[in-house]
Amino acid sequence: MGRWFKSGSPWIWMTGSAVSVSLIAVLGLLLLIAWRGLSYFWPATIYQWQMQDDAGKAYTLIGEIHDQEQVPVERLTAAGYHFDDDSGEFITRYLVKTGNREFVSLDFRWILASNIISRSAPENVAVFERSKNGNFYGVPQRVLENGKEIASDDVATVLEQHIARAVALNEQAVDLQKHDIGAINYQMERLRLKSRKYELNNELTDARKAELAAEQQTLQQQYQQLEQQLFALRADAARDAVVVKDMRGQDVTLSLDTVLDATYVNRLSTMQKLATWFSRVGHFVSDEPREANTEGGVFPAIFGTVFMVLLMAVIVTPFGVIAAVYLHEYAHKGWLTRIIRIAVINLAGVPSIVYGVFGLGFFVYMLGGSIDRLFYPEALPSPTFGSPGMLWSALTLAILTLPVVIVSTEEGLSRIPASVRQGSLALGATKAETLYRIILPMASPAIMTGLILAVARAAGEVAPLMLVGVVKLAPNLPVDMNFPFVHLERKFMHLGFHIYDVGFQSPNVEAARPLVYATSFLLVTVIVTLNLTAISVRNHLREKYRSLEN
Amino acid sequence: MISIDSALTHTGKVDLRNLTPQQTALEINGLNLHYGDKQALFDVSMKIPRKQVTAFIGPSGCGKSTLLRCINRMNDLVDDCKISGEVLLNGHNIYDKKVDVAKLRRNVGMVFQRPNPFPKSIYENVVYGLRLQGINNRRELDEACERSLRGAAIWDEVKDRLHDNAFGLSGGQQQRLVIARAIAIEPEVLLLDEPTSALDPISTLTIEELITELKSRFTVVIVTHNMQQAARVSDQTAFMYLGELIEYADTNTIFTTPKKSKTEDYITGRYG
Repeated sequence: MGRWFKSGSPWIWMTGSAVSVSLIAVLGLLLLIAWRGLSYFWPATIYQWQMQDDAGKAYTLIGEIHDQEQVPVERLTAAGYHFDDDSGEFITRYLVKTGNREFVSLDFRWILASNIISRSAPENVAVFERSKNGNFYGVPQRVLENGKEIASDDVATVLEQHIARAVALNEQAVDLQKHDIGAINYQMERLRLKSRKYELNNELTDARKAELAAEQQTLQQQYQQLEQQLFALRADAARDAVVVKDMRGQDVTLSLDTVLDATYVNRLSTMQKLATWFSRVGHFVSDEPREANTEGGVFPAIFGTVFMVLLMAVIVTPFGVIAAVYLHEYAHKGWLTRIIRIAVINLAGVPSIVYGVFGLGFFVYMLGGSIDRLFYPEALPSPTFGSPGMLWSALTLAILTLPVVIVSTEEGLSRIPASVRQGSLALGATKAETLYRIILPMASPAIMTGLILAVARAAGEVAPLMLVGVVKLAPNLPVDMNFPFVHLERKFMHLGFHIYDVGFQSPNVEAARPLVYATSFLLVTVIVTLNLTAISVRNHLREKYRSLEN
Repeated sequence: MISIDSALTHTGKVDLRNLTPQQTALEINGLNLHYGDKQALFDVSMKIPRKQVTAFIGPSGCGKSTLLRCINRMNDLVDDCKISGEVLLNGHNIYDKKVDVAKLRRNVGMVFQRPNPFPKSIYENVVYGLRLQGINNRRELDEACERSLRGAAIWDEVKDRLHDNAFGLSGGQQQRLVIARAIAIEPEVLLLDEPTSALDPISTLTIEELITELKSRFTVVIVTHNMQQAARVSDQTAFMYLGELIEYADTNTIFTTPKKSKTEDYITGRYG
């Protein structure tokens, strides 16, 4: 035993198992998130239950099984339920998603296995994905065109055609509203600001007034035209309807302009289910959220996260590198430099919310407020840059990640052999030329390492962003087709905050839970993608400057 | 220049005690050097003749590399290094306040102990010094590159892979590449700091042959702790010991009839 200890193998085993535990923890976490997040999009079988409640009344239930658990009979008895003696110690309880939110009090409900009389998966049941009120489950009866029934044996095909038509019209309407009408609104707002600016400068002459009024008039006319188009499109989309028999046995008429999709899930083969899965995942990453973020996609959040991180990287890299170059190459090596270096390293340990408070106070109120007073006085009192936004978020995260970039750049600089520097100096290069032509290129892999760490930290950071720019729902992306195309003063959505919002601020907890997993998985994917890109760039640079190793 | 060249035969001996200003490339007068509190050079004075090979020999830590680095002011990079005395290059003190160090180093090239190519292509390594001077004309660079690589006796080995990374070369080739890089900017003086100590015997031989050729174009100062090498390649030899210049004469005299007993002890291998 003593020999075994002396041989050193216990330490190898210890370190080896430490690595395994970490690996298992990381992989387990990723697998859990991925499984729970991705299985959400799988089209689940729709069941129809014949139920009987405690009073002996029979009723029908249609929905998907969302969750199930074993409940001790004792607990249920204590809660006032009655069971036969032979029902055993545990009883299964199902969480069923019944949808049809406007007709039932809750679209999720727990049912006890003891109340179930029979269960079936009828093929004629369809799930309707809607833009309002969530899913609807029921048996489609007939399609109405202009209020008249279309005679057809194949309701499914007719329904599919009419839904496709309505969806296309809706898309046109959204397009019109977002782009054309959005552009006009933007121009009108600019016109208002222009007029206000003239007013502030006492330059609002009658001639200008007339000019502005004329412009306003033109825009107003355009707006009215577009608005009429929009209403026409919407009315056209609402032309058709479908009559569905719901689980209460009543016929419900659903206007097709709110229906996004209808699927006869129980008729689908595995391949078709897979296709549906891909299409749902596609919608999730490319659509905008609906229904207080509990449905729809997360595209604005993905866009906001990636754009903010990239902007942060663009800001932090030059600052970090320049600071590191000064500290390492030019600063006199004395106690002051040492203190500054220690301070920089310690900055990395400051809680991120503190940076958030600093960002709000310094960037948003001080800098932003001054910018507004100087450059946007016409918009006051409503702030332009003086409120939380994209730019301030990126800047706040840039100072949050600055220490990481400085430290790793300095490490890279100190790894460059003195002989290379001397070689360059001996050829008549000045220190600055040596830095620019030899040192910085050779340190670029280390700079990239710093950037990778910075991106990893920034992409996962939420707390400071809640103070300096992230919102639950941003009406516009920070990049659009209106001049100047990039609007850094706008608030934005962020995947990390989206997880918090959906998971903990949502009125519909059960509906939101899978979305939390899906969004978490997406956030991890985004961060991993950003990192892998940076790592491949770094490896390329390393290959180029691999001299350093010897 | 022509008159100077004709006054000197490249292999011809010069009288170290009676060098004319034309024959003198470098003149060191009363040079003292301190690293912090420690004195590394004590009152060194010598004249280094033009277009000859001068070797500094001595045991480790005797200050020969330090002295060499004084000639192109490499010691400026050391924080607490203090220098007094003067080093005259063509009669001008290089420690004068008005001297542009970068310009000085263009006139006094240096090759280090270990090959230190830059992480660039062979071509870019050679033309680095020229690019620094703002020369970007492709033809000019191409010509200078070929001339320098031929001058460093490495052209035939690398002419087909000029744009490969310089790290693909062997140690001896890298050292000759570094020499090519140094002579590409046409310096007057070439300082070699133990250029073969990291190389194998065959590469060493190649470099030694090269040094003999180089002296037709440059004033060469070489530091070596290999006495045979000093005897083989140099015209003059200076023996240093503990920061002092003990003896300085033409190589034959030093190795056959040294005047100082310390020199003799070192040469005969009694210490060092």
